[in-house]
Amino acid sequence: MTNPIRVLVIDDEPQILRALKTILAARQFHISTAANGEEGLAVAAAEQPDLIILDMSLPDMEGLQVCKELRAWTLTPIIILSVRDSEKDKVAALDAGADDYLTKPFGIQELLARIRVALRHKSQSTNESKRTIVRSGKLEIDLAGFTVKKENLEVSLTATEFKLLAYLANHAGRVLTHHIILSNVWDPAEADKIEYLRVYMRQLRKKLEEDPEQPKILITEPGIGYRFMADE
Amino acid sequence: MTPNSYPPGKINNLPAPAAFMLALVLSLITGGALTLITRIAHLNKTTIAFIFLLPVVFSASMWGLLPGLLAAIVSFLVFNFFFIPDLYTFQVKQTEDFLVLGAFLVAAIVISELVGRVRRNVTAAAAREHEAIRLYEFSSLLAATTDQLSTTRVILDMIDQTIPASRIEVFIESSPEALLLSRGSIQNGKLLAKPIIFPLQTARDLIGEIRLWTEKPIIETDERLLKIFASQGSLSIERTRLAEAARKALILEESDRLKSSLLSSVSHELRSPLAAIKASVSSLRLGVVDWDSEARTELLTTIEEEIDHLNILVGNLLDMSRIEAGVLEPQKKPNILREIANAALGRIHPLAQNIRIQLDIPEELPLVNVDFIQLQQVFYNLLTNSIKYSPPGSAIKINATPKNPSFVQTRLTNQSLPLPESDMERIFDKFYRINPSERITGSGLGLSICKGIIEAHGGKIWAENLIDGIAFNFTLPIASHD
Repeated sequence: MTNPIRVLVIDDEPQILRALKTILAARQFHISTAANGEEGLAVAAAEQPDLIILDMSLPDMEGLQVCKELRAWTLTPIIILSVRDSEKDKVAALDAGADDYLTKPFGIQELLARIRVALRHKSQSTNESKRTIVRSGKLEIDLAGFTVKKENLEVSLTATEFKLLAYLANHAGRVLTHHIILSNVWDPAEADKIEYLRVYMRQLRKKLEEDPEQPKILITEPGIGYRFMADE
Repeated sequence: MTPNSYPPGKINNLPAPAAFMLALVLSLITGGALTLITRIAHLNKTTIAFIFLLPVVFSASMWGLLPGLLAAIVSFLVFNFFFIPDLYTFQVKQTEDFLVLGAFLVAAIVISELVGRVRRNVTAAAAREHEAIRLYEFSSLLAATTDQLSTTRVILDMIDQTIPASRIEVFIESSPEALLLSRGSIQNGKLLAKPIIFPLQTARDLIGEIRLWTEKPIIETDERLLKIFASQGSLSIERTRLAEAARKALILEESDRLKSSLLSSVSHELRSPLAAIKASVSSLRLGVVDWDSEARTELLTTIEEEIDHLNILVGNLLDMSRIEAGVLEPQKKPNILREIANAALGRIHPLAQNIRIQLDIPEELPLVNVDFIQLQQVFYNLLTNSIKYSPPGSAIKINATPKNPSFVQTRLTNQSLPLPESDMERIFDKFYRINPSERITGSGLGLSICKGIIEAHGGKIWAENLIDGIAFNFTLPIASHD
């Protein structure tokens, strides 16, 4: 890679900044840091990073506010960091345009996986070269051909089931909030009918998962939404 | 009892002038009657003297010694005037008449004195009986009181029912706070008069006073009663204070015990992973293990596991403080209970190597309106708790059924030893562990967090003993269809 990927980390804890800097630099990322929201917004505008990692609790302003201000002018992927039990804030940030989230404390594999997914989505949305075939384990989804195969056998899905699956697969690897899924697959007017989503997800899991009780493809993100796990 | 009944021994007492008047009239009527009788029939002087004793006895017994004496003197004079020669004068000629008159006077005085004394004794006995009854009532009422306020009220009521006063105040000095109860109105100017004060005194100190405003001076028996009320009341107030102090000491002791068990359990739970992490990291930094050795992997695994453990513990402590502060706000959404239980099972399986876990929640169960993460925590805590206390090879079962149109009841059974009945509720108390000396570690927070979460959802949680284990039950609201 000739041009290292530039990552901006906005967090007020020096230990976290130091750790992320060391770990990500070892992976050939170029790291810049900011210790508060104002500084973060300034650095983001000056350096135009490829990815932003944003802590939700900053000394000067809410992480959510930083997220909104960034989204006003850039589509750079944003991964938010927060602690457990702030699901409300996470959902608000995701609905406001953040791409993904990580709960502190997190493992570095998780962080790298999130970064990979976010960067892939960025390149897809800029290059307009979306995949039409999505694979996950024994599952193969042809988004253009409207077909789903499990172990090479076609699975019959209802129109809504396919629409839901296609939407999730199209955003493979990324967390999608209930609100976002409902307003895209159903209708913005029905964005709070979570019970629809629960029932359809159960149907999809029964048809697609090896063990619907312990799903490996259609993952529940507790309190937030769902994530489609595709093969890398 | 009403103030009107006071005091029963004196109900028949007439005001003194009326009693004297009646004694006088009675003696005169007797004299008149005898005069009329002697016109028709001859009565000798002894008979007449005897009859003249009647008004004396009657007056003395009805109205007391002095009216009796008055009757004696009047009767003596009438007898002398109308029946002893020379008639219609007070002159006496014959020796025999002197003797009759003298004997009559002595007899009349002695009789009225004796009868009056008996009567006084009866009155005094009645008053003492009344007093004894009041005191008995007072002490039994006091014995039933448990706090300072009710004791003070009993004292006030008792004085109000016993003593005719225009205003009564019972004042208790601060400890913990000053208390003033009163009865009777404040009439203009009345309170300018100085009250009669009875101190409330205990062996140790003065704790207050009784203040009385009366229209008439207090009689001796009432004063004695009031003094007894004051001393009994003081003792009773002191008793309630001591009882209160003992109760508080007990609570303090209990909370002290809780705090020290919290400190010992939490500091142990926090320190042991930290110790393991510190030891692992420092040995890695020292380079005492080879870069590629198995030992290194082992140390790193230890560090990661202990960090996860710490993370859970800190999460529990935070959950507990949120529950305590009442800020645990469930993000209630329609959820499939089976999915939540499965999510918890996904985290549990690595811990439960020798235990079979059987999930039996029907697919068609209505959606529940709950916070996914919090409910997952409930399942996780109940499962880890059950695994800790279950014998190897035993089974844990989870099932759920709708109990009524608005609630689903979930039941988790395990095959651990039965709980003592007295602990059925206490196991959900914070930091409560049935036997802290046992080898099994834990912070004593898991079940109390479950209780906090379930109650925040408007549900109930309880434990029960089964023939071969324990069941944890909890209810959850069904998501409404709209």
